[in-house]
Amino acid sequence: MKIKFRIRRCNPAGKEACEPYAQVFNVEAEEGMTVLEALLKIADEQDPALSFRKSCRSAICGSCAMNINGTSKLACNTQVIPEYKKMGDMLIEPLSNHRPLKDLIVDFTPFWRKIDKVTPYLTPTKKTSEAVVTAEAEAAIDRSQRCIMCGCCNGMCNSLEIDERFIAPAALAKAWRFVGDVREGHSAKRLERLSEEHGMWDCVRCVHCTQHCPKDVMPLKQIEMLRSRAMKAGVLDNPGARHVEAMADSVKKIGRLDEAAMTFKTLGFLRSLGMIPFGLKMERHGKMPLPHIFPQIEKIEEVKKIYEEFERALKKKKG
Amino acid sequence: MMDKTLRYAYYPGCASQAITKEANETTRIISERLGIELHDMPKANCCGAGLLTDYDYDLYITLNARIFAEAEEMGMDIMTICSTCLMVMSTANRDLKNDPKLLERTNSTLARAGLHYSGNIEVKQLLWVLAGDYGLDRLEKQVVKPLNWLKVAPFYGCHSLRPSSALGFDDPEKPWSLEATITALGAQAVQYRGKTKCCGFQVDLVAEETAELMTAARLLDGKGRGADCFVTPCPFCHINLDNYQRLAEKKSGANISMPVFHLAQLVGLALDLSPEEMGLSRHLISPENILK
Repeated sequence: MKIKFRIRRCNPAGKEACEPYAQVFNVEAEEGMTVLEALLKIADEQDPALSFRKSCRSAICGSCAMNINGTSKLACNTQVIPEYKKMGDMLIEPLSNHRPLKDLIVDFTPFWRKIDKVTPYLTPTKKTSEAVVTAEAEAAIDRSQRCIMCGCCNGMCNSLEIDERFIAPAALAKAWRFVGDVREGHSAKRLERLSEEHGMWDCVRCVHCTQHCPKDVMPLKQIEMLRSRAMKAGVLDNPGARHVEAMADSVKKIGRLDEAAMTFKTLGFLRSLGMIPFGLKMERHGKMPLPHIFPQIEKIEEVKKIYEEFERALKKKKG
Repeated sequence: MMDKTLRYAYYPGCASQAITKEANETTRIISERLGIELHDMPKANCCGAGLLTDYDYDLYITLNARIFAEAEEMGMDIMTICSTCLMVMSTANRDLKNDPKLLERTNSTLARAGLHYSGNIEVKQLLWVLAGDYGLDRLEKQVVKPLNWLKVAPFYGCHSLRPSSALGFDDPEKPWSLEATITALGAQAVQYRGKTKCCGFQVDLVAEETAELMTAARLLDGKGRGADCFVTPCPFCHINLDNYQRLAEKKSGANISMPVFHLAQLVGLALDLSPEEMGLSRHLISPENILK
């Protein structure tokens, strides 16, 4: 079957930035052929200058992440014919959110810098270094260890698309690998650093990382565990944690989300005052969130009982 | 042959009981017109909008199981009109159904409040009910005023598509349900890359700049493809795309002026509901100029 590959290329040829252009190659695809095999075939038979990264061909090394029909995928892990049947002609582009260096090769320097930023190794204290890693303790960090650093999650990350300083899912999943390890001695310090601007609270929960990770690392799940651990460790002096705390309070009190109370608690008094002119504009359309206008839900005592049970379990866990 | 009446335990979500109440009110009207029965859930608590997941996983699961227990008692699946509620509840439901130990642990907490969840309900949203259970052929037959003058940008946002392991109805890489609904209503669907991306809502109060620039990027993407208006199945997306559009304009320095409809309102337009019935004056960006 002849399949059309439209490839987004660029050739810097000594210049710093390269102008992208699209080039079409027709490939005779056989049953079972992967996108990587198709690219190798193009390089062999049509244009030896076509540049892309590859190594293991079996979804272990993480080298061949690229944009295939708009989604970050490993070229070695994606079969041409099923992809073509679903999406039509193939559109192959460099991984999104990364600067192309040549053709499908992108600059991974910011990726590694972010991984470095989360101190990707254990820093035990004398006491924690003797902690026993039970099967249960290992299970808590197991998923985060599946990461092959391919960058598919960062390529799909909606927050990174807007803010290049955002720490992004790959480094956050890696951060949980160490924060969640019973032998780690500086978890609280790590959580404080992760709570800074452009850190873990800037994740927009778009779920793209979890949806498109080829190794099922579920980065969003790791981010949720980091945040949850920060809440319990008392790392609360930042808008992200205050927002979560306000939600937990609101649901406990009235069973629902109280938008105005949450705004006030998250932003604090002064920044909330700054919202008033805009709030008044919304009010002209009946959209100003007013505090405490919600009646409690029926049987709120059931919700309170659930909270009590949860708080009791937490105390018991703490000691 | 008579069609079986569709009945749902109706979960509008917190946003549509206050700030976007026009979505709730319009949904009730169109459901009645279409013969879909919506039954209120007076006990239902907030799903946590993802924030309770960050607070404590077990608490999040248990509070969601309490919502499911009420629907189970009513003997109906849940229909929501909020994509975030859909994602949060579906994820909890998936975990409860896949993990018998979690279900048991959750039920032992629920039992203290006299409740029980057996794991037998499904969570859906209005979009899926229209494009699935109800059927778009049937919807098309109900249209009294085809929207043939409108070019509509479908805005799925994130939570009506991802994670597909919990949602499953549509395909995040090649979604079809919103475009097909737009077409069934007689309008033309505009294609643009940002349709399945995030509106920025979750960080409105935490990273305002990211949120505002993200909102601007989505709207400008659709506008650049010739859209007259946007439609979204999610009230949180609506809050960012409509309420905060002027802030997005200010931050990005671009003129946007893009009317945004709730899904129920686009259906309402095709059923010839009045602007008053659909609460269109509540929008910050008036859709007046594109109405006929």
